[in-house]
Amino acid sequence: MSATTASARLAPARSARRRDKPQKWGNPFVYLVALLLISGSLAPVVYIVLGGFRTNSQITTSPAGLPNPWVSSHYIDVLNSVTFWGEFGNSTIVATVSTIGVVLLGVMVSYVIARYDFKLKGAMYSLFAAGLMFPLVIAITPLYIVIKDLGLVDNLLGVAIPQIAFGLPTTVIILVPFLRAIPKDIEEAAAIDGASRLGFFFRMAVPLSLPGVVTVAILAFIGSWNNFVLPLYVLNSQANYTLPLGVQQFASQYSTDTARVLAFTSLSMLPALLFFAVFQRRIVGGLTGAVKG
Amino acid sequence: MMKKTRTAAIAALGLGLALAASACAGGGSSSGGGQSSGGQVTLSFWTNATPGPGLTFFHNAAKTYHTLHPNVTINIQSIQNESFDGKLQTALNSNSAPDMFLQRGGGKMQAMVNAGQLQPLNLTATDQSNVSPAAISTDSIDGKVYAIPMDTLPEGIFYSKDLFSRAGIAAPPTTIPELEADVAKLKAIKVAPIAVGAKDAWPAAHWYYYFALRECSQATMNATAKSLNFSDPCWTKAGDDLSSFLKVNPFEQGFLTTSAQQGAGSSAGLVANHKAAMELMGNWDPGVISTLTPNQKPLPDLGWFPFPAVPGGQGDPSAMMGGSGGYSVSAHAPKEAFGFLEFLLTKDQQQAYGKAFISIPVNKAAQGIVTSSYEISSLQAFNKAAYTMQFLDTVYGQNVGNAMNTAVVNLLAGKGTSAGIVSATNAAAAKGA
Amino acid sequence: MSNTLGATVIGRSRLGKPQAGDAASAASPAPRKRRGRGRLRLEIALLSGPAIIIFVGLVIFPVVLAAYYGFYRWQGYGVPTDWVGLKNYQLILTDPDFHQVLLHNGLIVVLSLVLQGPLAILLALLLNQKIRGRSMIRVLIFVPFIISEVIVGTGWSLLLQTTGAVNDALHHIGLGFLAADWLADPNRALWSLMGIITWKYIGFAVILMLAGLQSIPDELGEAARIDGASYWQVQRHIMLPLLGPTIRIWAFLSIIGSLQLFDLVYIIWGQYISSTAGTSTMATYMVHNGRDAGNYGYGNAVAVVMFLVSLIVALTYQRLILRRDMRGAVTQGVT
Repeated sequence: MSATTASARLAPARSARRRDKPQKWGNPFVYLVALLLISGSLAPVVYIVLGGFRTNSQITTSPAGLPNPWVSSHYIDVLNSVTFWGEFGNSTIVATVSTIGVVLLGVMVSYVIARYDFKLKGAMYSLFAAGLMFPLVIAITPLYIVIKDLGLVDNLLGVAIPQIAFGLPTTVIILVPFLRAIPKDIEEAAAIDGASRLGFFFRMAVPLSLPGVVTVAILAFIGSWNNFVLPLYVLNSQANYTLPLGVQQFASQYSTDTARVLAFTSLSMLPALLFFAVFQRRIVGGLTGAVKG
Repeated sequence: MMKKTRTAAIAALGLGLALAASACAGGGSSSGGGQSSGGQVTLSFWTNATPGPGLTFFHNAAKTYHTLHPNVTINIQSIQNESFDGKLQTALNSNSAPDMFLQRGGGKMQAMVNAGQLQPLNLTATDQSNVSPAAISTDSIDGKVYAIPMDTLPEGIFYSKDLFSRAGIAAPPTTIPELEADVAKLKAIKVAPIAVGAKDAWPAAHWYYYFALRECSQATMNATAKSLNFSDPCWTKAGDDLSSFLKVNPFEQGFLTTSAQQGAGSSAGLVANHKAAMELMGNWDPGVISTLTPNQKPLPDLGWFPFPAVPGGQGDPSAMMGGSGGYSVSAHAPKEAFGFLEFLLTKDQQQAYGKAFISIPVNKAAQGIVTSSYEISSLQAFNKAAYTMQFLDTVYGQNVGNAMNTAVVNLLAGKGTSAGIVSATNAAAAKGA
Repeated sequence: MSNTLGATVIGRSRLGKPQAGDAASAASPAPRKRRGRGRLRLEIALLSGPAIIIFVGLVIFPVVLAAYYGFYRWQGYGVPTDWVGLKNYQLILTDPDFHQVLLHNGLIVVLSLVLQGPLAILLALLLNQKIRGRSMIRVLIFVPFIISEVIVGTGWSLLLQTTGAVNDALHHIGLGFLAADWLADPNRALWSLMGIITWKYIGFAVILMLAGLQSIPDELGEAARIDGASYWQVQRHIMLPLLGPTIRIWAFLSIIGSLQLFDLVYIIWGQYISSTAGTSTMATYMVHNGRDAGNYGYGNAVAVVMFLVSLIVALTYQRLILRRDMRGAVTQGVT
């Protein structure tokens, strides 16, 4: 009885997602609050983007002014430069590998901690939680030696794999509650239906904890996209640089071309934004209706 | 079974991506340790020159050298200045040091020598004619040479001739009281008299260094380098000088939040846009300023005068402080590495260097390329100086230097005293070497 | 530490409606077909193996090594040779600068929770409705979180400098008297920092809360509405308590993040004026006295102290706060 109910309840979950398409306008108050919030959030960003259309001199003499005249050469130069797109590609590769790695490994180990019963469960969780308390900055010197011994210096994997490792603590901490929250009923129902523990894992646990999985994927991607310290130490040749390192192009030996930096970084934040925009729709209820017995 | 297919698919995807990534990646080129194979030698060269005429110079030099010595290939790698030291240190410690690299000198060089990471260099007679013993002395320890200097970067006060004449200042000041009087005149025409990037500490600290250079005798300063004990009263007196100089409000508004060189909003930017009249800086400043002017060309009315004399100081009023950019050879690099550095010292290369970096090449024969008025002024002062010292945070090592810089900023922020500078630098010794 | 986290999101409805099947699933072993302990162990090893190997090799091991360096006085070149035992730690704990940074970190922890928490919950509750434009709003709120620290630092420096855009704009619109030294003035600097932190991380908090809210089945709220509860009653009595575990997770991450705050302060204030401005943190202290001063041994010792402080805070938090999740989740939900 419970089995059919349980599986029947999943169907509404999927149609719930389709039903989720917003149909009505909300309370104007909500929109007002949202507007205030968005203006506050975006004002500095707009300043940064507009800064790319000015010259350094303009920024010094008229800090709060609008571009006058509008200088589009910075943006155009960046878009035309081969190095920008090369770095763009590298950043994309590293971020994708990191995200997939973190999600894959993170979900697997979180599942173990959340739903299996064994002696060392607490210790395993504490291991990852402890990792949260160390910033990358301090481990970088010995970490570099490990990376070198693995032969991964000046290699994009030498950036991606440590990023996976350092991304695991947050991932585990976020995912364990989501995976725990799936009621035992469903697991039992699946077992009665003949699914193994692993089967339950792939076919039901992961989809049901999708909000959590998507959240950690987003965090991992953005963390990797913006990471500066690790690529700085690991990557040597220009051809391998990721976007954050590319900012260095616009700093001469003693100075920084602020306007160009603003243009460059405005453009480099677009992919992370896109990734988020696409995936945030998936942070939708997975447990809707999964409960009734 | 569905789940197995999905697992396999995910695994394959991940593996495929990983393979693609490593294929696309630059093939993990070796970052250090020149390789020789059958006479072919490949060397690595790390510099903090970033894309522009400076980096182009190094690429051209490597190419020319390759034409002269076809068996030697040199890879020039550029690393941004602020990131340079950390990256270099990591490479040195993990036995993947570059063959040639920028050397800051002073305490950092001492530490590298102590760890056996540098090769002592044997200069031939030709080399010694290319670079004078005085220039080499800053890159030597106990008589052994550990780096080859490329240029000299004497420090003095850059100023705007236009703003000076508008304020009614006929000639640059030669003593501190005269400087203070000029400060008042510039305030009258509503211009910040002196720009300083105190957020980065060292620009403010350089005022302290120079007051110390004027107050302390050369013997005292050299002795302190060995003992790292700042008990001589001249150190406190220098702090007092800085405090009383502060009383005339010579710096721009908000100097604590102004950086030195970080583009727009920096102290160099203020000078470039005629919002400030003076700045105490080394010879790299004109280059920085030229990127921040409205038309992004060098500032046409830029002038230079040496740091004024302090009445009653034990230091020689003509003494100068300056940095130098030199290159070291790592301990296990092949002999061809030194050959390239010797090549960079020759007159033609030095002339090209001076043009590219707008600095004063260390080879006297090449110094004829110096043409702008401020460069000529600084070169003359440099050649006339009784003695020169490197910047104190280089001479006294990173640990003490950092503490000194911090204490100076505290003084400027109203939270420290001149006695505080002395006690901070003495305390720093306990935390490090 | 682990067992108490993640109490079921499906708690009981406060309005008493019996909810079938929402038995608390916290760690209670269910009777199921035993497949053999060997199979169990194999599954555990396979699933958790890769993560553990990578984690221990690339995080734990380097960090232990770094802690080892903390017992030396070391310039960073070559191998450490000057053993000083616990001297570094003694210096750290007696350094008045370090006491200052502990104070600053404490303030930042508390203010972050107070400023971001209620705001994020409110926003998440508001934005959880299926209204038009919801996606767009979510994306736009999240933008600050996406921007890298480097550009945040550059941008905000330009805005908040004494000669920067904010003061300039205030002058232009005639509010020049409000212009202030936002960064260097010790009375204002911490508030400027909190403003920037809130700006950057509120999106993260909202997203996390939204994910938590989305995990609550619609039926609960609908059932309550059918019973006559108003929208805000539903939020207060059903959604909020069920959001509890998520809030506690967010708070945990926020606390740890606040203790480790580095990038924003270092880039905007630099290493020198952060202490006079009152915004220095343990991490900036570590870098300022460690890497930037060439005292790597000392710096690593500070890192160990940071770790211990975080650990103590985390354990205390778990003991005092996360324990509730265990209490509330026991049996009461069974119909």
